[in-house]
Parts: sequence; structure tokens; C-alpha cells
Amino acid sequence: MKMNELEKLVNEGVDQLPPLERRTFLRAGFAITGLFLGGSILSLTSVRTTQAAVPGSAYTSGAYPYKPHYSMVMRQNLCVDCQLCMDACVKTNHVPDYGYRTIILEQERSIGENAQETIFIPVLCNQCNEPPCVRVCPTVATYKDKTHGIVVMDDKKCIGCKTCMAACPYNARYFSEERRAVDKCDFCLESRLSKGMTNTACAEACPAHVRVFGDLSDPESEVYKLVHRPETVLWVLRPETGALPNVFYMNDTVA
Amino acid sequence: MKGNKNVLLALSLTLAVGFAGTTYLVADETKDQKGAAAQPAASTPNLLDYLGDTKVISVEPVRQMFSHRSHVVQHKLACSDCHTGIFERKWGAARDKGDYTHADAFDQGQYCGVCHNGEAAFATVGEDNCMRCHDSNMIAPDTIYFQKPVRTVVFEHKDHVDMGMKCADCHMQLFDTRMGAAEEQPEKFIMQALYDGKYCGACHNGEAAFASDTRCTTCHIGVRGDERRLAKAADKNKQKAQ
Repeated sequence: MKMNELEKLVNEGVDQLPPLERRTFLRAGFAITGLFLGGSILSLTSVRTTQAAVPGSAYTSGAYPYKPHYSMVMRQNLCVDCQLCMDACVKTNHVPDYGYRTIILEQERSIGENAQETIFIPVLCNQCNEPPCVRVCPTVATYKDKTHGIVVMDDKKCIGCKTCMAACPYNARYFSEERRAVDKCDFCLESRLSKGMTNTACAEACPAHVRVFGDLSDPESEVYKLVHRPETVLWVLRPETGALPNVFYMNDTVA
Repeated sequence: MKGNKNVLLALSLTLAVGFAGTTYLVADETKDQKGAAAQPAASTPNLLDYLGDTKVISVEPVRQMFSHRSHVVQHKLACSDCHTGIFERKWGAARDKGDYTHADAFDQGQYCGVCHNGEAAFATVGEDNCMRCHDSNMIAPDTIYFQKPVRTVVFEHKDHVDMGMKCADCHMQLFDTRMGAAEEQPEKFIMQALYDGKYCGACHNGEAAFASDTRCTTCHIGVRGDERRLAKAADKNKQKAQ
């Protein structure tokens, strides 16, 4: 390797790197240094749980460690990108215009010759059971609440290093200049749940009942029934990360 | 002295031309205002116009054409056939009564509906009849983007017309013939109404066309879809300007 040639190269930076790449890099680093709790210490092999090894499958072992185990089901095919959920979130949680706590992604899919359909995918913090953001936070500013499992922020402890933003598989974090800390969806814990309300602002605002919020440890709840409905394909986003998310996706009928 | 006279002459000429120009502009403006949909035809037009070609006789509630000549010259109707029993001899009188519409009056045999009932003359509603009165001034949109009650729903008006559908298939019964009419009642213009066979649901019921409780994103292009469309339109305008 010729150093004088290398020195002429322009630094590519990390701005253009997709989150998954950044995450993979981080994970490799942590796996090697043994910091990655899901893997074996000093393991040089890639770290994967068995659940994550099956592409597209959702974590539905039937055991939910939290009480209440907050969760959301997206009846994805009914989403029409009206963005009323996003508006409600912004209003309820005072989200600045440069950030978001929830977003709607869009995908084009061919349904035959010269015919396309659009799929809208609502995304928010997946409140993972194995949250990569929590693993990487150097100051424990972000942690998983022991009671309800919501991944929350302790603004005072956040030093703004943004490592959690890079680690999140769902791009669900942004740095809030107002809070002087990273901000994220907390299932409306601060703005609503802690005040006795039982639904998130986004789920309440959805006119098509795409977002169903509830307690997955309660067999009587709607989320439980949807997640455990027989003969239903249920999936999560980016299962390969092994984060074991608590936001599930399915297609459903209108009624 | 002679030079001065020439200057004076030139000056007065300029003034005269200037005045003429101003009058012309004013006249043009009034004409434009008459043409604008929001402005009702206020002033009484020249009497001769009544016997002229097809004229716009109303802009409210919708623009409508009426050929006085075809009624008086071709069909030899007497003045008293219509005036003043059916229509007052006053410009805008029918409009001012507030019931000069298909639903309130024509269908009940008032105003035009006295004769235009399908027997004495062609009916006011019917497969091919709409354009006979609402012709060149009815601008059929290519695509409609509904923004209420949710953003954004696309309707390909042109594609439906090209399919061979007639105006009356949708208009009058399912949709008013006026841009934005359905959106004025967003609490009614909802999916449940479609499932009940109203609005688009009259055909989109799973039999005549795909059911309205399926394939959501065929019509719902969403906020992103709308923003992309607006950006595209802005780009086009920019290119046109250059």
C-alpha cells in the first residue's frame, strides 16, 4: 500500500452511508470487542438469533416479558398516506419540523404490465425487545423501561453523540435542538399514557384504523388478537437485525 | 405659428387615441367580468343579443347556454309562451329566486322543465342531453384531486369519460356538476358512504368496478403523491417560463 497515493484520496465521509451499513459496521465492531451482548464474547462470527434468521417472520413466541407489553400492529394495506397520524403526533408531542417520531414510507410494486400499486408503510420506534440503540448508548440516556418495555429517553443524560441514531434499524430517532437530546417515539408515554389515556395520538387519528395500539400481554386486547390470528401472515421490519421489534405488520380487510 | 398648430393637432390626436384606448379597456374588463364564473351577469345586454346566437344566460348556479334564436326563430315560440308565466322579462330574475336548479325546479316541471320533460322537448337530464345546454363553458377536468376529508384522492375524470360513460351516469345523482361540491360536505364524502352505494360506490361495488373497500392506494395517492404531483407541475411551469 502506497501511503502517498492513499493520501490523495478524498475522504468519503459517512453521510451517504445507509443506516443498515452503519449498523452492520457498528455491530461488527461491538461483536469483535465483545461488547455485543447478544453474541458470544470475542466472537468473530456474525451474531444472529434464530428468530432473526428466518426472513420476514415475526417474534410471536407467545411470551411477552412486560406488563403491560405495549405493542402496535399496522394493518399496512389500509394505509393511504393521509398523514393524519403524523400531524397528530407532531401536535401531541411538539415535534419540530426538522424531525419526526413517525413517518410513512412508500414503495412501488409492479402488479402486471404497465400497472403499479403503491404500498404505504407507517414506521415509528419499534420499542424493540433487544434495542440496538440502548446497547450502544454510552450514558444509559436511552433505556428500556422495566415495566412496560417502552424505550425511553432520559434527556438529562443524553450527550448528543447520536450513536443511537446510527444504531437504530428504523431511522426512528432525531436530535432535538429544543430538548438538547435525541428524541423518539415513546408510544405517547409522556404526553398521553402517563396521563391515563390508553391510546397513542397516531392510532387515534388514523381514519382507516391502520394503527392498532395495545397490550400484547393481554389476550383480550385487539393487538393480541391480531398478532395471534390464525392463518395470518405477520411480519416485522428488518428482522435480520435481531432487535425483536414490537411493531408488527399485516394485511387486513376493511371491516 | 404653423408649427404650433401641428403640435396641438398631434397632442389632441394622442389624447383622443388615449381616451379611445381607455374606453376600450373598460369595455373589455366588463366583458371579462361577465365571463368570470363568480360574477353574475349583472347589466342588461343589448336587446338585439336576445335574438342572437347561443348566449350564456346564467353563470349561477352553473354556467348554462341558451339559444333564444333556436326557440324563437326555428321553433317559432311566441314571447308569451315563456314570458312572463315561466320566466320574468328581467335579466337574472330566475337566478335570484334561488331555485333555478335541476333538482329544485326542472325535475318538478318548472322553468325549462315545463317543456324540456322528454315529451314536448328533450329532457333536461339524459344520456346525451347535458352538453346541449352546458356545452363549451363546461370544462371537463382531466384529473381531479380530492383533498377532503383526507389527502389526497385521485380521480381520472378523462379516463372515465373515455370509457364511454355519459355525464348523467355520475352527475346530478351521485355528484353535483361543480368542482369541489363533494368536498364541501367532507363528513358525508367518506368510505362508509361508498360502501353504501353512494358517490364512487355506485359502480365501485365489486361488480361494475373493483370494490371500494379494496385496492386503497389505487385512488389514495396520499400526501406524498400529491406533493410529487405539485412539484412536477411547478417544474413544468418553470420550464415553460424559460
